[in-house]
Amino acid sequence: MAVCVAVIGKDNSPKFISCLNPELELQFHYKVHTSLDVVEEKLSSAGINTGDVRELYLGLLYSTEEHKIFGYVTNTKIKFIVVVESANTLLRDNEVRTMFRRLHNLYTDVVCNPFYIPGDPITSKNFDDTVKSIMVNNI
Amino acid sequence: MADEVSFEFLHTELVSYVLSSTEKDKKPCDLSTLEYIGFSAGYRIIERQTKEWPRFKDELETMKFICTDFWTSINKKPVDNLRTNHQGVYVLQDNAFRFLTRLSNSRQYLEVAPRYVAFTCGLIRGALANLGINSMVTAEVQSMPACRFHIQVQRT
Amino acid sequence: MSRQGTRLDSKKVNSELFTLTYGALVSQLMKDYENVEDVNKQLERMGYNIGIRLIEDFLARTGCGRCYDFRDTAEKIQMAFRIYLGVSPTVANWSPAADEFSLQFETNPLTEFVELPDHCLNLKYANMLTGVIRGACEMVQMEVSAYFVQDQLKGDNVTEIRVKFIKRLEDAIPAGED
Repeated sequence: MAVCVAVIGKDNSPKFISCLNPELELQFHYKVHTSLDVVEEKLSSAGINTGDVRELYLGLLYSTEEHKIFGYVTNTKIKFIVVVESANTLLRDNEVRTMFRRLHNLYTDVVCNPFYIPGDPITSKNFDDTVKSIMVNNI
Repeated sequence: MADEVSFEFLHTELVSYVLSSTEKDKKPCDLSTLEYIGFSAGYRIIERQTKEWPRFKDELETMKFICTDFWTSINKKPVDNLRTNHQGVYVLQDNAFRFLTRLSNSRQYLEVAPRYVAFTCGLIRGALANLGINSMVTAEVQSMPACRFHIQVQRT
Repeated sequence: MSRQGTRLDSKKVNSELFTLTYGALVSQLMKDYENVEDVNKQLERMGYNIGIRLIEDFLARTGCGRCYDFRDTAEKIQMAFRIYLGVSPTVANWSPAADEFSLQFETNPLTEFVELPDHCLNLKYANMLTGVIRGACEMVQMEVSAYFVQDQLKGDNVTEIRVKFIKRLEDAIPAGED
């Protein structure tokens, strides 16, 4: 269901990116990067209109003809970005939320691995494999 | 799930490992390793503990979470007193700190007390660091088993 | 508290704290020692120190008396794993002389989040456990050796610790007896 998943660190540098079609990785890098501005905007408006922005899930960041880009930011300022095809109209908001929650759980396990140094790119094979399966069928 | 006692056994052994390895090198008692192990554990555990938590609004709310919810769950009881000067200094008073209650209350143990608080200083500093707050955490033991933790937020 | 959000569960937090602190210790030892074998040894030694203190707590909690035989010992070690780590290893693979058995673990809270990097394949990550067994048994006048024979971190199906009876220690006075 998703075509690209990215994990962005506290410093806004990518720690992990995985695309269904690896040839498009460069294109997605660009899209993910652009979406970070929207993330910052959403977070900084949090002070003004409190309420829904308390949620870690930020919802749709922006959409193009081809893609919809969703965002999620943890309390530790790690950003997850998910790109889905706009043609996928069956996708429900709840499914996107579930996907993010799974990513978040997976990510916390990576951080809890004593051999992972926080801030480093994520090289865990388990993480990579599971993210791929989440992208394909949300499991 | 591991029992709470298991963590206490591990902590005691950690303290004696750090002490024996500094003794070996003839260095003065250096607790920074202990503090660092706490930091590393704190940094990681907070990632798990804030997973289901709504986004923190600001520093005060984050500090409140650390000094109340997080502290209580780690130490199995709330702090006895919490104060702040609203300028980045937070003082947590625990009248019977977990790792000190097992030592005798007599004065002779007072000088070894810093060993039993260094891990927790690191733990708090690590948890805060991952939540985006750089701080200095120190502890002061004046009479056993009470302990006062000072958190000083670094705003630079 | 007016805040929404799940309250933190103290038992779970302490269990995670245990796991993560152990992890931080192992990475510290990897820095302190050049050789992985030395890290394994140090973990075992620290486990031994814990074992000799833990046995008091175990006896006090369970009210267990002397072991009739080594099978009885195996059961008590199994019980200790349940109490302290919340896991129930299976006791299996007894030797014909009943002086050696295995503890098989489906899960191990110490290794819950661990992925061994390639340069650490000789690391016995949870080696502290073998030391705890040796230390605790020694306090009840039993010399045993304990070592890992299988490890899920290295791709095995189960994690397995082999425990071997060596001899009875007669010189010390048993704890709590005259």
